[in-house]
Amino acid sequence: MPSREAWAAAFAAQSRSDWQVYGRLAADDQIPACHELHYLQMACEKIAKAYRCRDTTAHLEDLLKRHVGFAKFMGSFLASPSIKEAYRGRDAQLRQVAKLARALAREVEKLAPAVDRAGSPENAEYPWEAGEGVIPPCQYSYPRLSLLVSPGGRTLLKLLARAIQEFHSPSALAIG
Amino acid sequence: MSAPHAKDAAARRLIQWHFTVEPELREVYRIVMDDEGSQEGPIRLLEINAATVPTGSVEPFAFSPTEEIPFRTVIAEITPEELESVQANPEALPKGWSLSRAERFVRPKS
Repeated sequence: MPSREAWAAAFAAQSRSDWQVYGRLAADDQIPACHELHYLQMACEKIAKAYRCRDTTAHLEDLLKRHVGFAKFMGSFLASPSIKEAYRGRDAQLRQVAKLARALAREVEKLAPAVDRAGSPENAEYPWEAGEGVIPPCQYSYPRLSLLVSPGGRTLLKLLARAIQEFHSPSALAIG
Repeated sequence: MSAPHAKDAAARRLIQWHFTVEPELREVYRIVMDDEGSQEGPIRLLEINAATVPTGSVEPFAFSPTEEIPFRTVIAEITPEELESVQANPEALPKGWSLSRAERFVRPKS
């Protein structure tokens, strides 16, 4: 079986590619929001899995099979040494950023059809029931994610970009 | 400074900062393992945070060293309710992790 480092690097690479596609789709307002959000959700899930794979105490085969929560990843990432350095002297600002980032990370995680289907059926891929009707994702506006385009919400996107970028930095690659 | 002392100091700085920036952080367990004395062994933290999402599992994520914290860092967050579950069922912890060997830090009184 390939090493955990190989799996981690592959998940990070795919996350970066998903992130780039998200950027392209988000820039085109003719494309329904579900498509960009689908790529955003996939980029988030895969970067979480990449960082999870670097934990050497985890059983790799279990890790590959299981869903890894982006919201929990974001909590840990906000506590990482890198964020400590990035927000040096700005603790109050980080407290605000963290609160919103945690909430939005949970909303992005729910876009996966397998997550909280009963409580929050509004995923980015498959239609869902709403009363007597059925809503296709391409006709839904995702109001709970509208904050992503606010200044605070954009911080979540910057944090995600940072997590993807840092994974590929030389010091990050040294982690085994 | 020797590696164990430098790592202890770095871990304490990181934990102290976490209490500063996370209002819902209740306590932190610094997990101690056999590689603790080495430079390569990471700082491992299990953080009990009421603001995190309960998932029923402990998911540690591994992060790179920085200039200020020159050690790899592995951080997992669970809710206070998940801590109770882990205390009742220690097998739910990642391999090699033990609360009984861990160093516990509680939120400083403000």
